[in-house]
Amino acid sequence: MILMTGCSFGEKRIKIFSVEEPRAKLNLANPDALTLEKVRWIIITSENADEVFKKLEEQGIDPVLFGLTDQDFEMIAKNFAQIRQKLQETNNLLEEYKKYYEPEETKK
Amino acid sequence: MAIAIMMIVGIAGAGVYVFKLRADNATLKANQAQLEQSIESQKKVLEQQKQDFNAIMESNKKLNNLITTFKKDLEDLDKRFNKGKRDVGKLAMDRTGAIERIINKGADNAARCLELASGAEHTEEEMKATKKSEINPECPALANPGYVAYE
Repeated sequence: MILMTGCSFGEKRIKIFSVEEPRAKLNLANPDALTLEKVRWIIITSENADEVFKKLEEQGIDPVLFGLTDQDFEMIAKNFAQIRQKLQETNNLLEEYKKYYEPEETKK
Repeated sequence: MAIAIMMIVGIAGAGVYVFKLRADNATLKANQAQLEQSIESQKKVLEQQKQDFNAIMESNKKLNNLITTFKKDLEDLDKRFNKGKRDVGKLAMDRTGAIERIINKGADNAARCLELASGAEHTEEEMKATKKSEINPECPALANPGYVAYE
């Protein structure tokens, strides 16, 4: 009888336990900062127009200008300021989320 | 005979009762330990909630401050174009060269603000700037952390 049961009495109970495995960290690298090209603004009026175009030709630049009125220039300046603020706001938001959910990684 | 049976049953009953009391006692002790452990873990949860709440408040405050500085920067930009009865177009006609220099300087500053907003490192000069003449007037709060606005 002992030989038949393999020296044991009754079946062993299977124990099932779960271990919580934390989700892998995303850890995406921060995007590279912008390095912008320098843009040159030229003011052209009815009085200096000839002189401006002549200078452009002398410098070997096509004598053509893409124009904005003073009001449109103001608008473009304000639009750029808003784009910059949105960029800054989004980056800050991302940083705060990271700090909140991954405090250890942020400290490093 | 009957008395003897009654005595045996009585003793056996008392024995069973004692065993039950011991078992109850052990259960109560285990319950007590569980409750103490539970209170301790509840304390930890409360402490964590408190820390989380403070962190959320701090983040909100930071973002609100940022939005306030955005508004101020936009107002300052508007003032540069429209302060008093300033007409940039007319000024550009009268003093073309000077305004061209100012516009180009402003555009360079605005571009630098964009770079910083995208995560560029500050230069030493930007970090040290404390005077109006040293700052980037397009975004002083972002470009010059050491600068405190004054009139």
